Amino acid sequence: MSTIAAEIKNVRFRYQNGEENVLNDVDLTISTGECVLLCGGSGCGKTTVTRLLNGLIPHYYEGELCGKTTVFGKSIGDTPIEDIAGTVGSVFQNPRSQFFCVDTTTEIAFGCENMGLPECEIHKRVKKAVAQMQINDLLDRSIFKLSGGEKQKIACAGAAAMQPEIFVLDEPTSNLDVDSIEQLKNILRLWKNSGKTIVIAEHRLEWLSSLCDRVIFMENGQIIKEYDGNTFFSLDTKCLNQMGLRTCKSQKNYFDDKPGIHAVKKFRSDSNISLHDFNYSYGKHSALKISSLGLPKNSVTAVTGHNGAGKSTFVKCLCGLQRGFKGKVIIDGISYNSGKMRKISYMVMQDVNHQLFAETVLEEVMLGADESDEENALVILKRLGIEQYKNRHPMSLSGGQKQRVAIASALLAKKSLLVFDEPTSGLDFTGMESTAELLSSISDECTVLVVTHDSELIERCCTHILHIENGKIS
Amino acid sequence: MTGLFTADIENRGLILDPRTKLSVMITLVIFALGGTGSEIKTVRYAVIALSVLPIILLLTSQQYKKALFFGIIYVTLKSAEIFLVPTLTGAALSVIGLCCLIFVRLMPGLIMGAYTLSSTTVSEFIASMHRMHIPQQITIPMSVMFRFFPTVLEEFSAINTAMKMRDIRLGGKHAGKLFEYRLIPLMVCSVNIGSELSAAALTRGLGTSTRRTNICRIGFHIQDVVILLSVFIVYILWVLGKVGLVI
Repeated sequence: MSTIAAEIKNVRFRYQNGEENVLNDVDLTISTGECVLLCGGSGCGKTTVTRLLNGLIPHYYEGELCGKTTVFGKSIGDTPIEDIAGTVGSVFQNPRSQFFCVDTTTEIAFGCENMGLPECEIHKRVKKAVAQMQINDLLDRSIFKLSGGEKQKIACAGAAAMQPEIFVLDEPTSNLDVDSIEQLKNILRLWKNSGKTIVIAEHRLEWLSSLCDRVIFMENGQIIKEYDGNTFFSLDTKCLNQMGLRTCKSQKNYFDDKPGIHAVKKFRSDSNISLHDFNYSYGKHSALKISSLGLPKNSVTAVTGHNGAGKSTFVKCLCGLQRGFKGKVIIDGISYNSGKMRKISYMVMQDVNHQLFAETVLEEVMLGADESDEENALVILKRLGIEQYKNRHPMSLSGGQKQRVAIASALLAKKSLLVFDEPTSGLDFTGMESTAELLSSISDECTVLVVTHDSELIERCCTHILHIENGKIS
Repeated sequence: MTGLFTADIENRGLILDPRTKLSVMITLVIFALGGTGSEIKTVRYAVIALSVLPIILLLTSQQYKKALFFGIIYVTLKSAEIFLVPTLTGAALSVIGLCCLIFVRLMPGLIMGAYTLSSTTVSEFIASMHRMHIPQQITIPMSVMFRFFPTVLEEFSAINTAMKMRDIRLGGKHAGKLFEYRLIPLMVCSVNIGSELSAAALTRGLGTSTRRTNICRIGFHIQDVVILLSVFIVYILWVLGKVGLVI
């Protein structure tokens, strides 16, 4: 064995407001140059392990900590977090909240500036990181105008410019499309080949198959089993699913189809929802150009396409949320313009926190409805399995439960078109499976569209795929 | 919306040093808002010229719509103050006169503020604060604010969209709670983002005791010199007026 990069010894940890230990006697040794994958269901403690390594525990997230973490000989508990920064480079899950600057070049240089490196050295490092990752075209751009994948590349470049010895990534792909994941994989391979140590906590496993040397499977804050890379990635789907993990390979590649709408499952529809003149442009840039399209009623249709292909513009137009949109939708012979579409459609956003307003779950669901609908509301809550939370504050629920509250309010308002924006991003196998069941079950009442990159979700519940490329379907 | 607080660095036209902007700002506050030297006729004219400067600056940074909007309002109000107000009497005089007085004085400073915010990048801002020897304890929180505003605005527009879908609007059933309904998700999201942002900043070494360097190059160029000179002229005229050399 080569030298030790990081060592976690008998660590037990409980977050300040938490009731249980998130980590129980975790012991882990990582040697230099190794690429280690941490996996397990939601709440298994894998994110907490990454936080131990980059020093956010105990320096930022407070709680009860026993045991010791050392990274390259530095005891994390005794080193101020700013001094760990040069040794450990971190990339986080949410691209919206890991940027400190508003333009890309200074963002990449940010860490080096903090270390107080001389100006010319910083320029050299930024240039090197940019050249290695081939992201020259992203320099001097506004962060707010980048796609999720581009933002994640900038985050990687920012970490790389500090030239740390070990990289810690916490679910870096939860918002990325297949191509961006491929590019991220190349970046990781580059780091690995130059001898850096990589620790990565992740739900989506398939992209890591040729990269990881060792896989740590965690459950309830404990390391249950260790695999070496090859053994783990040859496990079959059933076995992985039993462990509560996503598959390593999808059965079928759903993303290579030609643009257009395809049926993936047997489905007999009585009628179509027809869309006309779905054209939209931002300034001079045309984002959407679909002259007509038929969506089978009561289907569950996956909307796929690359980041920036026009998927979100499409669903926004469909929900009547895009200002100045002139197209129309015909359902059962009745024509709806943009304003009327807003009355019959509803979108469950990726960050569901944006759409929960009231003080209790019941009040939230009843917002748009009459008082007399309360019985109905309770029936719907029961159906979605959240009746017992009716008096809780919606914000105190878990992500999946919040999603259900949003769906309940749409069902009560008798919306006939439900759109989901990446409903399974960051969900583990169990979460994904229950979302899939939910989507199938609500499709007898309404037509469902799902914007997603998740092939497992598509496989489980979608009847059709609508593939959009460059704002077009042909 | 985000354009209000962050510089569009891909497309920014004429670049001024942040310190030049600051000096114009201070001068506008002293003369246009504070009314210093308004008893001297030459200074009055110079201040009008200086008040138009922010509008020209907006033009140079390619923010044509904003410039036109502010330009029209300012010209209307200023001409009302000069030509209309002296002819008025009674209630009309107090209402219109007061409006003109307040807005004509406030507007140049406000426009300059809008221009400064929309044309300065965070790193330029930090670099210039650094050159002026302002301590890090002040600049870092301020630069966080720069970063935080556009994010909050993004969140806000997402929440607005969500409210539209639920048909919560003015005149609707829950009009009285519009504010509360907006505030709760905004607070939850802002707190989440704020804490994630701090965590990310910490892992990248913000706040080390080593002196921070900055790769942003700022400095005075010909355009800065021109603007600083014209600002300087106002002060000179005022001093000359005080001594009695100009009226």
